[in-house]
Amino acid sequence: MNQCYGCETCKSADKPLENFIAGLPMETSHHRVKGQSVKCGFGLKGVCCRLCSNGPCRITPSAPRGICGATADVIVTRNFLRAVACGSGCYIHIVEKTAWNLKNTALNHGEIKGHKALAALVEEFGIDASLDEHAQALAVAEKVLNDLYKPVWEEMELVEKMAYAPRYKKWKELGILPGGSKAEVFDGVVKCSTNLSSDPVDMLMTCLRLGISTGLYGLTLTNLLNDVMLGEPAIRMAPVGLNVINPEYINIMITGHQHSLFTHIQKRLADEDVIAKAKAVGAKGFKLVGCTCVGQDLQLRGVHYTDIFDGHAGNNYTSEAVLATGAIDAVLSEFNCTLPGIEPICDELKIKQICLDLVAKKANAESVEYAYEKREAQTEVIIDKIIEAYKERRKVVPMKLQPEHGNQNTLTGVSEVSLKEFLGGQWKPLIDLIVSGKIKGVAGVVGCSNLTAGGHDVLTVELTKELIKRDIIVLSAGCSSGGLENCGLMTPEAAELAGDSLKEVCKTLGIAPVLNFGPCLAIGRLEMVATALAKEIGIDIPQLPLVLSAPQWLEEQALADGCFGLALGLPLHLGQQPFIAGSELVVNVLTEGLKEMTGGQVLVEIDPVKAADQMEEIILERRKGLNI
Amino acid sequence: MKRIMIDPSKCDGCKNCALACMDSHRMDGGNGVVTLNFTLPETEARNEILNDGKGGYLPMFCRHCSVPGCANSCMSGALKKDMETGHVMYDEKRCGACFMCVMNCPYGIPKPSADGTKILKCDFCNERPEGPACVAACPKQAIWVEEV
Repeated sequence: MNQCYGCETCKSADKPLENFIAGLPMETSHHRVKGQSVKCGFGLKGVCCRLCSNGPCRITPSAPRGICGATADVIVTRNFLRAVACGSGCYIHIVEKTAWNLKNTALNHGEIKGHKALAALVEEFGIDASLDEHAQALAVAEKVLNDLYKPVWEEMELVEKMAYAPRYKKWKELGILPGGSKAEVFDGVVKCSTNLSSDPVDMLMTCLRLGISTGLYGLTLTNLLNDVMLGEPAIRMAPVGLNVINPEYINIMITGHQHSLFTHIQKRLADEDVIAKAKAVGAKGFKLVGCTCVGQDLQLRGVHYTDIFDGHAGNNYTSEAVLATGAIDAVLSEFNCTLPGIEPICDELKIKQICLDLVAKKANAESVEYAYEKREAQTEVIIDKIIEAYKERRKVVPMKLQPEHGNQNTLTGVSEVSLKEFLGGQWKPLIDLIVSGKIKGVAGVVGCSNLTAGGHDVLTVELTKELIKRDIIVLSAGCSSGGLENCGLMTPEAAELAGDSLKEVCKTLGIAPVLNFGPCLAIGRLEMVATALAKEIGIDIPQLPLVLSAPQWLEEQALADGCFGLALGLPLHLGQQPFIAGSELVVNVLTEGLKEMTGGQVLVEIDPVKAADQMEEIILERRKGLNI
Repeated sequence: MKRIMIDPSKCDGCKNCALACMDSHRMDGGNGVVTLNFTLPETEARNEILNDGKGGYLPMFCRHCSVPGCANSCMSGALKKDMETGHVMYDEKRCGACFMCVMNCPYGIPKPSADGTKILKCDFCNERPEGPACVAACPKQAIWVEEV
């Protein structure tokens, strides 16, 4: 079944993309969904344990405990904690590398593009503002790194500075203030190993600690440190979809989450001598083609890179289609979501693969492990190898361009800072719209795309349409935004799909009903917006008419993000349960018990209408609580 | 007449067939493995995967035998072979819970229920048009339906 090309691909909310993929002469992840459609029920519900050689043990009516005596509750929580710890580790890896890049940039007096972003961090962290900018940047980077490397028993210093005071107090009461981020991941994986913790509730609280560490450091700080090095997001209109790929250029598809690893190369690609190299082989120059979250990040800051960046092509499960256009000459990857399945496609289309970070090493990619001190030489090597690939492949590889795919006017560059600026430097106009009911509430539709919640981006797009129809404004970050933008929901014209009062708001302000915050890292930005709104009104976050949804969450990182949302006290909708359904206790704690602890709750619903109903109900309840 | 055929060499012991069977016969009105309670004795599966002792598995499914030991030993008439479909069907209301069928099945298929008031046995998912749930759930095609 897996060998059948083009006969039965999964659905996509993006119909032109679905048709393009169905017609490809090669296998993609969209083709493999059917062959993998029978799922192991024990794995699905999280009650398969293979932590020791007695396993795998599975829970059934006649075998309610594993050989060691672990119940369904213990097996489910161990598996869940392991996933959250891994997910947290991924984001902490990203912020660690980003902070090191900032430190090295500061030490070498490199370029600082985000002056305002730096000033904001300096103020927040209590750093001496009279220092020169490089000394300030060094102090910022060192504060972050010092925290990341603390032992687990030593609380991270910046948590109190960054967190909203009522939340910090709540976390302290619950005993979930994290120690050093790396140590938290370490202790997290220790806790869920063979015959260690068998206390499901304690393990769930550990997930919340990991969530806080992930959210404040892995998400929020990665954005802010990148803003310092790469420039701040600015609101503008930009093209999205496969149409951004221009075959007249040497095209490099970038995948991953670590924008700062591209700082040097993206600067170099615009230099005259490098453009001359491209011209010598018949191309007009170089272009970066955005794919996955690092593409979203580049798009967010795209105003600073218009010469080498044409636009974002698509999200994680669009990457195979991007390659299949034939006009991509190389893939530069540095993290997930670089699918293993792109390897045979790259081989077939003679696309050069280069990995900048070995944690995301592809089997047939060349390794150029990024190092700040070697970056200049590495950039030259990478450029030459890509030119080589371009020369080899363009003569023989057929083009399947999709110039009609996507759109030209997606609103992008929205951040906690640019949105406030757009509103005239204050949050009051947005709060007024919410109070008056013109905007009923706010929903963050975030996270990944997967292929099993109705198909590629299907639930994300359907749910978003349902929410805006009910006058709930949607903020998006992650691969969800890649899908929503390619489906046109981030264009001003999408206002027509919104309910009457949200439509009026969008038309008056010239905005889309879905605001594009970019990469999954920017979930941290959404949460900064939530905090700013709560602070302005003078309430705690769980009182806000604001809900979060990761309708098509895919990976462990999303679960760590989700734990941050729950620690913040947000209702979190998921399209599919995160392998916890086998434990009544875990389901009860996450869907009910948490309400009393942090104010958060998990809702699981795969039907977009029912999910929107539940989210709307929560928003209406919270409006009632605020007497609005 | 349809029968479930078995190729033990293809079975990986994932027990998806068992979960599908439990789901197909659950009493709470739900649908889908995600909401199925794996620990309730009432949702016991009517099929079973045994270890063959040689590194493989023995998928045990009701054969709906031509000469059914279970039905032939049923004194109350609760078990009867339907001559049209060929399937051995069970009428719970007529069952005296004597468990002679349990004793007489050469494959060990009928099981006494947890409360001891009846038996659990394959009903071919009540002849649902899409066929038995266990067959649909097998990722290895180790079981399939054949016209005999």
